[in-house]
Amino acid sequence: MTKKADRSTKGMALIRWLFAAVFIFAVAASGLFSGLMNMAGLFYLFFGTAAATLMGFTGREIAGAFRQASGNAGDGETLARSAYFWEAVARNAWILGAMGSALNFTIALGRESGGIEGIGSRLIQSFIVVLYGLVLAVVCLVPAIKLSSHREGVRLTGKAQAEAGGPRFGAVRITVPDRIIGYVLFAAVLALTVVFLVKGQPQAGPLPIGRLLLHWPAYLVVFGGAIALALFVGAGAGARAWTLGFALTGIIGLLMGLIQALFGFVHRNVGEIASAVAFIISASMLTLLGVVAVAAPLEDREVMEGRREGASWLSRFFWIVLPLLTFLFLVLTFIMVVTPMKQTVG
Amino acid sequence: MNAGTKKNTEVDELLRKALADDLPADVAAGMRRRIANFRAAKMADVAPVHGRRAAAWAWLFRRSVWAALSILLLVAGILLQGERASSPLADRISAIKTQYAVLEMPRR
Repeated sequence: MTKKADRSTKGMALIRWLFAAVFIFAVAASGLFSGLMNMAGLFYLFFGTAAATLMGFTGREIAGAFRQASGNAGDGETLARSAYFWEAVARNAWILGAMGSALNFTIALGRESGGIEGIGSRLIQSFIVVLYGLVLAVVCLVPAIKLSSHREGVRLTGKAQAEAGGPRFGAVRITVPDRIIGYVLFAAVLALTVVFLVKGQPQAGPLPIGRLLLHWPAYLVVFGGAIALALFVGAGAGARAWTLGFALTGIIGLLMGLIQALFGFVHRNVGEIASAVAFIISASMLTLLGVVAVAAPLEDREVMEGRREGASWLSRFFWIVLPLLTFLFLVLTFIMVVTPMKQTVG
Repeated sequence: MNAGTKKNTEVDELLRKALADDLPADVAAGMRRRIANFRAAKMADVAPVHGRRAAAWAWLFRRSVWAALSILLLVAGILLQGERASSPLADRISAIKTQYAVLEMPRR
């Protein structure tokens, strides 16, 4: 590839990104979707996704992926890793979107400004974070798809050696400080989001947020089940064992909660329904936290260090399905909360 | 370099001459006994602690221990949930649901 052609490709990529940025800014400024604004959600999603990415990738890998997304050339292996990076960012955004909704949902349930209708509208507003997550995931999937197709082109035309002048980032072992920075940033973003949400929604009674987020049965089931399943799958499966452990435990927990809630409706027992709904919300939030903060960074390191070619189809399946299921179950819990019952028994 | 090497050789020679004789047998035996006693006393203090610590760590990292612990957590969670364990979140949901029911009543 000549220098002139290379510069032209980079220029075109830059113009495309600029157009996308201007379009998003114009849509936001138009006020067309003002009902869909959730500043705490936006803050959480962007910074949370960035922090989650730092848990699994080194600064060098991130810089390389950005350079290639803006049109720099690379060999087949480098392009594959950059494509995986963008796929992982999309995954983090999608999972964090669903997790943010569950977190927002819990906090909205604990606040009592604006009466019962205020609670209802805040619960619906919490779903907006999933929408943000989906949009950011789609945006990040574009470079992933493009880099994958470039890689295919390089492989087919046999130009791998000729185009190897671009940024290379071979198997880089991530150091402990790298990961610690990612985890500290992630924890800080979560804490700040909770603070913003709590500040935005005045509290009626003395119900500390820490206690609200602690539904012990969900913690015990999710962590116990995930560890048991990961041990059962064995060390041979590597980090996939953790994805499988958290995802399957989460799905089982969601179904358990749903069945208990349905029994609650049959028995006309508000306490039983409330306990089941609390379990569903907490279990879905913890499952997604486990996937994004434990399983996914480990899988990312396996791929970037060359121990695996890419994520397995099963991991990809759970990365897509689990947040979707969480969203559907949150909608179901919303319906369960606002559905009045004729008779209540302690 | 040559001067340095020569100086070292001289010092070595001097030391060899000064320490040419072995220690008297009874002194050497006494020293050996004292060293053996000291080492035995030290090992008696340290070895069981080290051994116990290593065994504890080994036990802690055994897969079976983690498997048992995780199953216990899982069962405890399921039992607690089955008993409809109360939590601030569940109480709050209960209150909201009751409020919705109260709102609905006059309309019917």
